[in-house]
Amino acid sequence: MISRVADHCFWLGRYLERTESTARMLFVTANLALDTELAPSDIWRPVIIVSGEEERFLERFDAEATGDGEAVQDYLTWDATCGASLLSSIDAARWNARAIREVISLEVWESVNELHLWLRTDAARTLWSEGRYDFYRHIKRQVQLVLGQVHGTMLHNHAMDFIWLGLLLERTGQTARTLDVHHHVLSQLEARSADLSVELVLLPSLLRACSALEPFMKSSGGVVRGPRVAEFLLLEREFPRSVRFCVRRALDCLSRIRPLAATKLPGGETLERMRALDAWLQDISAETISRDGFHDILTHVVDETACICTGLGHEVLGHGDAAQA
Amino acid sequence: MTATATSSLFDRYTPELHSFDEIFGAPGVPRDPFTALMAEVESAVGADFERLQRLADQVLLRAGVTFSVYADQRGTEKIFPFDLLPRVIDADDWDHLDRGLRQRVQALQCFLDDVYGDQRILAEGVIPKELVLGASQYTALVRGVRPPSGVRIHIGGIDMVRDGAGTWLVLEDNVRTPSGVSYVLENRLVTKRVFAAAFREAQVQRVDLYPSKLAESLRSVAPGDPAKAFVVVLTPGMYNSAYFEHSFLARTMGLPLTEPGDLYVDDDRVWLKTTAGPQQVDVIYRRIDDAYIDPAAFRADSLLGVRGLIGAWAKGNVTLANAPGNGVADDKAIYPYVPDMVRFYLSEEPILQQVPTWLCDREDDRRFVLEHLDEMVVKSVDEAGGYGMLMGPSASKTERAAFAERIKATPRKYIAQRRLELSTCPTWIPETQRFEPRRVDLRPYVLTGSEGPWVLPGGLTRVALPRGSYVVNSSQGGGSKDTWVLRR
Repeated sequence: MISRVADHCFWLGRYLERTESTARMLFVTANLALDTELAPSDIWRPVIIVSGEEERFLERFDAEATGDGEAVQDYLTWDATCGASLLSSIDAARWNARAIREVISLEVWESVNELHLWLRTDAARTLWSEGRYDFYRHIKRQVQLVLGQVHGTMLHNHAMDFIWLGLLLERTGQTARTLDVHHHVLSQLEARSADLSVELVLLPSLLRACSALEPFMKSSGGVVRGPRVAEFLLLEREFPRSVRFCVRRALDCLSRIRPLAATKLPGGETLERMRALDAWLQDISAETISRDGFHDILTHVVDETACICTGLGHEVLGHGDAAQA
Repeated sequence: MTATATSSLFDRYTPELHSFDEIFGAPGVPRDPFTALMAEVESAVGADFERLQRLADQVLLRAGVTFSVYADQRGTEKIFPFDLLPRVIDADDWDHLDRGLRQRVQALQCFLDDVYGDQRILAEGVIPKELVLGASQYTALVRGVRPPSGVRIHIGGIDMVRDGAGTWLVLEDNVRTPSGVSYVLENRLVTKRVFAAAFREAQVQRVDLYPSKLAESLRSVAPGDPAKAFVVVLTPGMYNSAYFEHSFLARTMGLPLTEPGDLYVDDDRVWLKTTAGPQQVDVIYRRIDDAYIDPAAFRADSLLGVRGLIGAWAKGNVTLANAPGNGVADDKAIYPYVPDMVRFYLSEEPILQQVPTWLCDREDDRRFVLEHLDEMVVKSVDEAGGYGMLMGPSASKTERAAFAERIKATPRKYIAQRRLELSTCPTWIPETQRFEPRRVDLRPYVLTGSEGPWVLPGGLTRVALPRGSYVVNSSQGGGSKDTWVLRR
């Protein structure tokens, strides 16, 4: 497969995942803000941090704006200068899809293009101001539709492996960052105020942000406890957004693209790195967590994921190539 | 179907005086072969054509059937305006075109072989030597190269028009990288849906076999075994105005769509950079102009090309479709000699007529053109897309005077023809909410593989949408129609 095409597939997957996860995060947080006793900035600042936009956001607005739900939502939805905004992510997904129109299926293309066109209609603006939840829900569902169409209408070949590889690596980073930021906020709040019913309000919200509330409840029998939630999002083998699950599936994709035995094919170093991350995640136990702490573990995951993406770019996707420079 | 429905659609339709209308022989009366067909069309449409037209536009926009206009902001996409009512061509007319087009492409192919070979036609004085060797598109570099399998015009687009009497005339030849076929196929999907019954009734010839015909024909001219040939499409990239089409063709042929950065030449062979390492390429359907295809051979400042590609082609290691150097055959100053080429190479009389043309390079012609500039259409010999031309009858005095100076300065660059009363087709005009006659041309597509030429039964009908306009180019306010070729 052409390296440039593989690169577009990879980024299509990443931007689709970014779109869905931003939409969900805004959806859940806006919902949480309605009936919580938390200070608005305790609710909205983590959203800005998880998107990796804190620095730029503070350059544009004052610190008070991190507590202004409307400002944060507007920024993360419509701001074209913000790379993580829904507008930018959807544009980027569509741009990548258009570059590989001959590789993806007609269904996938039409759905991505429709989402892009819809976001520019008056109807989208009206829905944004009059039915915020339906607005996020529409975007989430449209992305999920695309992912279903990828699975159901495309050849199950390397193009698809690259889309999922991008998606899974993006999701790994998203879950790890979401967990890390919220874990941090939670522990601070616990120290500050003992009587706040953190478990009952914030943890379900964190789970919802990862689409994990019901799956978690099924596995925990309805008992919500901080460490158990974090363990679930990090290690649950059956949950499709846990870090362990995403890394394992990403490794499966890369192993199809670049089998371990195919030593002549490019990508060997990245494969090794991903195998090591996977093996490390398989070995993590409750003891490791209490010894190293969530923060260090999650930082390692985020850093390694970033290195894997960079390595993939150089080894397989043709980045830094003389002809493309 | 009721009489009221009929009258609501076409009863006020009046063809232009002195022009041939493709569908209506007299006001409100369709030509014989189209009577039943038009009745079906009307019953399918009912009274609300506007709604169907808007639905069709939506379908095209959603599917991303768009083109970019160079002058526009980078990356802006528009849909090519599409008029839902098809243009129809009856079986007799098509037979004539089919034979004539195959003959013409064959003659042009012989001409290219000759010009880049022995140059017999120049030696025998059939075409002035200076005219050919002085053409900006004559490419001395490729003289002596015989392309793999010998084919040079793998894809030809020959623009046809009809004069006031309905006679078919060749307007110009396009044998470099003719575009537009994707609209033919996409337009058909829409009209088939809207006019299902009329379509069945009319026995329209299918066009959807084009991609497989093209793929087969590209494979057939590979340097090695066609069955094992690795064929790719080469696009300048996403910001090219015809990117949709490049992607469309790659997709429908099931071939990889490559950009110049994906290819490189090593040891006079062409390689594709893949995730599994380099893969050798046998045939390239390239949609990049000669000037930009290889910085080592042509424009050194080109960032688009693949360095060494022409060398690999000259060695016979890769097929380029179309072959480099073809532009000399569609130079508008050489066009007047195509009938002579037919006689010279094929010993046949030309089947297709063409438009009488004055070459400004010839002194007598130039004097005549300058004296009759208000009746003439003057075109630049090596520009396309409706750029660099003068529409004498509608231009102002000052515009004509300025153009006369340009002609005197570089006469070789210009040819002139009398303005033709191009044929018209009923076209939906949203402003007046009714059908009005608008002028059309036709671009049929001719594929040539190892088996000889084949003509797609259909083609791109372009329509000049502004009232009174004679210019059909999409860059100048033109739109398109589906073209229905009827079976015998």
